[in-house]
Amino acid sequence: MYELVIIGGGPAGVSAGIYAARKKIKVILVADSFGGQSTVSGNIHNWIGTKVIPGWELAKNLEEHLRSQEGIEILEDKVSEISKKNGEFLLKTISGKEITAKTILVCAGGKHRHLNVPGEDKFIGKGVAFCATCDAPLFKGKDVAVIGSGNAGLEAVIDLSAYASKIYLLECDNEVKGDPATYDEVLKNSKTEVIFNAKIKEILGDNFVTGLKYEDKKSGEEKELAVSGVFVEIGMTPNSEIVRDLVNLNERREIIVDYSTGKTSFPGIWAAGDITDSHYKQNTIAAGDAARAVLDIYSHLREGK
Amino acid sequence: MVKIKIYSTPFCGYCKMAKDFFDQNGFQYEEVDVSVDEEAAKSMIARTNQMGVPVIEIGDEVIVGFNRSEIEELLAKAGSKSKA
Repeated sequence: MYELVIIGGGPAGVSAGIYAARKKIKVILVADSFGGQSTVSGNIHNWIGTKVIPGWELAKNLEEHLRSQEGIEILEDKVSEISKKNGEFLLKTISGKEITAKTILVCAGGKHRHLNVPGEDKFIGKGVAFCATCDAPLFKGKDVAVIGSGNAGLEAVIDLSAYASKIYLLECDNEVKGDPATYDEVLKNSKTEVIFNAKIKEILGDNFVTGLKYEDKKSGEEKELAVSGVFVEIGMTPNSEIVRDLVNLNERREIIVDYSTGKTSFPGIWAAGDITDSHYKQNTIAAGDAARAVLDIYSHLREGK
Repeated sequence: MVKIKIYSTPFCGYCKMAKDFFDQNGFQYEEVDVSVDEEAAKSMIARTNQMGVPVIEIGDEVIVGFNRSEIEELLAKAGSKSKA
């Protein structure tokens, strides 16, 4: 039996693995990939201690740092089920493995939130895209739309500006959500047109995307844009399905945690990173949250706190 | 050895991870940068009926995206084919 199972291989999971290994906790980390959501980011400018790092390189560094720890076991798999019997947790994975443990730290992060409008699922990979860094070059000379003006949306516009001929940035609110420094960079580019109060109604196309329909929330008028690409950057949705029957979630299905310890409502289960109800989703915050949670788990295991 | 081809773009994290995977496991591959080779981009889109990268060809099979276990499976399949 393990003292701790860490679920997830993003910044939170990796940080937790390193802290747990150094505390000599008997630990196993279960993840089907490493690096988290930033793996597909272009350049990351706010990973503290490194001025600029591409997303894939941060992912690689995280995995290497984790694997360099003595005493950490890593299982490349996905947890599908968690139950508690006779005072210990039983975890099952999709490949059929079983793990028993005293405590669990959930760092399963999140995934791209979808618009949930007609046409979106149908055209994924056929013009609807979730990674501008990866796919921008395939929209050379084309008109595209970016949905969402958070940092991810603004960075998508910047990635696309090297290739696309026209970029519409659609925001459902009446102001930009991302960092002013990044928005300044977006505004330098004359190819970009920002449309506020735009509620996306439908993605249009036949075999590939040919346009989108949105409602101007101010006038109530429905409008269409002819675009070949729609990059959806409207935040994330937490991967909390595996614990939804155990721990308390908020209305966004994020795990509610005690911010001073990382404890969830279920004794023996902690959570850290983007899967929690912390307002701000950042690599640095996820890594810090996970470190705090492991230190609290260590106190719990050794001192029964 | 089975022929491997990767259609990639310069800043695509999963393309990089796929290439690392082949390098670490001693597989040789041909890389096509679809951000510069527009003809290759067109044929990739036509073959896979989609626009995302990486697209990885292993022998006659094609995978969209980077999925370690799927690649391992196809490599094993290709390996057993070439032995037979």
